[in-house]
Amino acid sequence: MKTRVQKNELFQPAKMSVKELTPYLFIFPVLLILLMLVVYPLSFGIYISFFDTDLGNRWNFTGLKNYLAIFTQDRFLNNIWITFKFAFLVVAGHFLIGILLGLALNQKKRGITIFRTILVLPWLFPDVVIALIFKWLANPMYGLFNSFLLEHGLIEKQISWLGSTQWAFAIVVVVCIWKGYPMVLVNVLAALQSVSSDIMEAARVDGANGIQLLLKVILPAIKPVLTTTVILDVVWWFKHYTIVELLTSGGPNSVTSVVSIGIYKEAFQYFKFGKAAAMAVIVFLICFLISKVFRKVLSDDE
Amino acid sequence: MNKKWSKAINNILTYGACLAGSFFVLIPVLWMISTSLKTEPETFAIPPRWIPETVTLASYKAMWVDYPFLYYFRNSIIVTLTAVVISISISCLTGYGVTRFRFRGKESFLGFVLLTQMFPSVMLLVPYYKVLNTYGLSNTLIGLSLVYISFTVPFCSWMMVGYFKTIPLELDEAAIIDGCSRWQAFVKITLPVVIPGVASSAIYAFVTCWNEYMFANLLMADGKLKTVSVGIAELNGYYKIMWNDLMASSVVASIPLVIGFIFLQKYFIGGLTAGAVKS
Repeated sequence: MKTRVQKNELFQPAKMSVKELTPYLFIFPVLLILLMLVVYPLSFGIYISFFDTDLGNRWNFTGLKNYLAIFTQDRFLNNIWITFKFAFLVVAGHFLIGILLGLALNQKKRGITIFRTILVLPWLFPDVVIALIFKWLANPMYGLFNSFLLEHGLIEKQISWLGSTQWAFAIVVVVCIWKGYPMVLVNVLAALQSVSSDIMEAARVDGANGIQLLLKVILPAIKPVLTTTVILDVVWWFKHYTIVELLTSGGPNSVTSVVSIGIYKEAFQYFKFGKAAAMAVIVFLICFLISKVFRKVLSDDE
Repeated sequence: MNKKWSKAINNILTYGACLAGSFFVLIPVLWMISTSLKTEPETFAIPPRWIPETVTLASYKAMWVDYPFLYYFRNSIIVTLTAVVISISISCLTGYGVTRFRFRGKESFLGFVLLTQMFPSVMLLVPYYKVLNTYGLSNTLIGLSLVYISFTVPFCSWMMVGYFKTIPLELDEAAIIDGCSRWQAFVKITLPVVIPGVASSAIYAFVTCWNEYMFANLLMADGKLKTVSVGIAELNGYYKIMWNDLMASSVVASIPLVIGFIFLQKYFIGGLTAGAVKS
């Protein structure tokens, strides 16, 4: 890379000033957009978190009071705890299924292309659509789940899956696993294509069996990709809103109230905008910490 | 003998995993399609039937006639295309600029782009609600497009930087020796080579915007400006949920994505690693 860059210098004529400006012209649009549409609103969000405000005329500076308030409130801490459980289970599910199917689909066999298309489908369906399909499947009266289970004598009476504190959380997790595993699958597939077949062949000649091959050769080779994917996936699902909102709205009895739903309610149901902004800042810090920790843990033993 | 066995086992495992996966993926999808073809009484038949006795397209007609899905689709298309076109153009410029030049502040610039990917979108909820109001952009399609651009630009830029990295620098150098300007080298020489990257970033951006619900639901209070996702979710809020109509609109909302993906998938699977993932 370095030599290439130096080679590039050959193409810098005497007029340095214009030439030096060119790269900035290329990155100027993205810089402008990111400053206007990301940095500005984010900073404004942090600003709001220090106020007791209705976003209209009332702007009372309260310092860290919002932060103190949310941390002494059981509701927020409970939301965070639920979100950790939720994100952990969902991401674990994604990786289990994603890696398994990735290994299966990475082979040149008949019909694999069709399976590949089918297995990526969940990623393409809108969150709203997926949530509502499953809500319909889990409908206590007319849903397919109950009718199937009743018919085969697995349950005795209809279960209100999304209305029971016992089942709602599990169902929400399963639906989110269903929706999100293709992203991991696609990344694993793409990474596997870069694992050279020579190494695999060499390991096989040396007598490695399938499981050894997987643990000692394949997984280490795709680890960089897995690291990035796991970080993006955790951050992505930690803030997830739509599917949970449409399935349960955080209920019953708050067992599925993930932190995004908590923030949304705080802001647009109780109109505590400052508190909601403070909660969002905390979520950001958590996501940031998670990504730092993952990077550290997963890259240390190299 | 041993080799034959291991091959057989491998086949069983491979197809077993694929079939089981496909089963769980297709059951909900087929159930959606089946419900969308039912009449109202059959939708609520007990026990539910997989294949409707009377197949009807009434729900597919109703969504355009009885519900304002024509508006919803128009809005979704406008907002999504605006966001995709803008974020892809900007990302291509960024990718070219970052990989073709050495300049002061490059590392910190890349770090900045990466950092903008990490924030959770829910953090923008309250600020955007207020900011769009302040500038008279709440309840406008432009306002929602701006929000979506803020989601897609960081990721697409990151992907495009990865793609441009895979294209040898000699390509532009040769073009410049042959008398192309920088801009011509970018547009005529490098950009065409990087089309697969553009395709997979575009799919990603399209899916993200088309599927978004939280912001669209909050920011578009005016009935005629709602997007498809919000429109479908709204059917779920009625006193009596017409599941057949709801499933018909779900099918129609998903079709553009599925068809687009089938055409572009050869770019997509190989695509992601070159960009976002191999950092």
